[in-house]
Amino acid sequence: MLLLRLWNYVRGYVIIIVEGYFLEKFINICTRRQILLWDLKKQSKSRISLKISIKGFKKLRDIARKTHCRVRIQAKCGLPFVVHKYKKRKAFVLGAFIFIAIFYVLTSFVWNVEINGNNKLETQAIMDYLADYGIKPGVLKYGINTDEVVNKIMMDMEELAWVEISLKGTKVRVEVRERVKPPETLPKDQPCDIVAARDGLIKSVFTKVGQQQVKAGDTVTRGQVLISGTVVSRNENVPPKKVHAMGIVNARTWYEKKVAVETVTEEKVRTGRKADIYSLELFNKRLSLQSKQVPFQNYEKVEIKKELSIGEDLVLPFAIIIETFYENNIIKKEIDLDEAKSIAAEKARQELAEEIPESAQIVKTDLKFTEDENGKLTAVVLIECLEDIGVEKAIGGN
Amino acid sequence: MPQDRKKQNKRKKKEKEPGAGLKEKVTEILELPKEVILDLPKITLVGAGNLILENYKGIIEYSEERVRINTSIGIVKITGSRLVIKEITSEDIMVDGDIESFEFLK
Repeated sequence: MLLLRLWNYVRGYVIIIVEGYFLEKFINICTRRQILLWDLKKQSKSRISLKISIKGFKKLRDIARKTHCRVRIQAKCGLPFVVHKYKKRKAFVLGAFIFIAIFYVLTSFVWNVEINGNNKLETQAIMDYLADYGIKPGVLKYGINTDEVVNKIMMDMEELAWVEISLKGTKVRVEVRERVKPPETLPKDQPCDIVAARDGLIKSVFTKVGQQQVKAGDTVTRGQVLISGTVVSRNENVPPKKVHAMGIVNARTWYEKKVAVETVTEEKVRTGRKADIYSLELFNKRLSLQSKQVPFQNYEKVEIKKELSIGEDLVLPFAIIIETFYENNIIKKEIDLDEAKSIAAEKARQELAEEIPESAQIVKTDLKFTEDENGKLTAVVLIECLEDIGVEKAIGGN
Repeated sequence: MPQDRKKQNKRKKKEKEPGAGLKEKVTEILELPKEVILDLPKITLVGAGNLILENYKGIIEYSEERVRINTSIGIVKITGSRLVIKEITSEDIMVDGDIESFEFLK
């Protein structure tokens, strides 16, 4: 029955008050003529209020006459009455249509390109590639074929292992996964030697293929051949065989880093004064609202961009940019010697940690401080590792 | 005599039950909806506040305390307070309100 009620709202209905003595007869005649009535409420002995459709109301005059009842309209409800009210407000209706049209047009473009998942690759590089293939803010949504662009980018940029481009609202979301490059190895059929990647002290040599050239306890330099791919047989008549050398050569290696100890450092401290500069960005073009410049000499900038968007995906090309400038004072601070020494040592350690390959085992870490003629201290961190220093090198090649 | 007693029993079985016509029997055996075939009113009462009466002939009296409806099996009376006819079509009536009693006036 709810559907019927909804339907009646769409068609329009009236709330009327019927006054008379033969109310039941009135109701019976209505129902027999297939006129639907609802919400009948008796207000007094000879008065009843009820709801009736507009179509039914038109047939009432005859029935009211027959039963000697008086019919009065209490209220009019329904869509037809609403439409009639707005017939006089043509500008309003027109404005509504224009609004919908503009909105539809605006959301047919791409206004935002978002790239996620790239660690080593620069976001701007991917953006430029996308722009070349037609994905950039300001293009029509319907002209973009995401599958095509995915294929082209995968072929062009070999650093990417996987690319997904999805178009939602006015945002193009690009997810990438970078390819972890496998270590460069020479093809198995090409003969090569195994040479040392760094200087070191050999601890053990395990030769799978090839002729071993060094033994445990030897000191080797970078580039020295550890396992030779040219196998010379003891019999002089047999010419030397060229093979693709393979094996593991574990050696002790050292990594050293020097970092100067600074007792006087420069620090940026906010003075508390700040200034806000507002500007608008429309269709990717910036317009500054104020003409004033930054009043401080040393400052830090924090930029907040507020975009007009409906939900997360329907981004419109209107944004307000608030640049907040915090004035900074550069203060020369003196830190005591011990703290300065530990800061320098930590910095050296961190820089070394990035240099050391992942497969290397750290055996020992040494920290030393040296002093030069001016009394300036330098922190020297020496890390001793155990690692496989063998790398393939083509015979006679680079 | 035993043969006479058998004949008497047979005759007893042939006597029909009062009020059970052929139509009613067929409806019962085939489990068809009785109110459709036999033109009976169907009354649905939900709690003590909502009553739907399907297949009625006409409305005789309506006031806030008493509603009397004419059906094919006689007049039906609903007593209560704040009675309101929620919907009324040519075949059904839905009465809302605090219903106290429902009577068949025969």
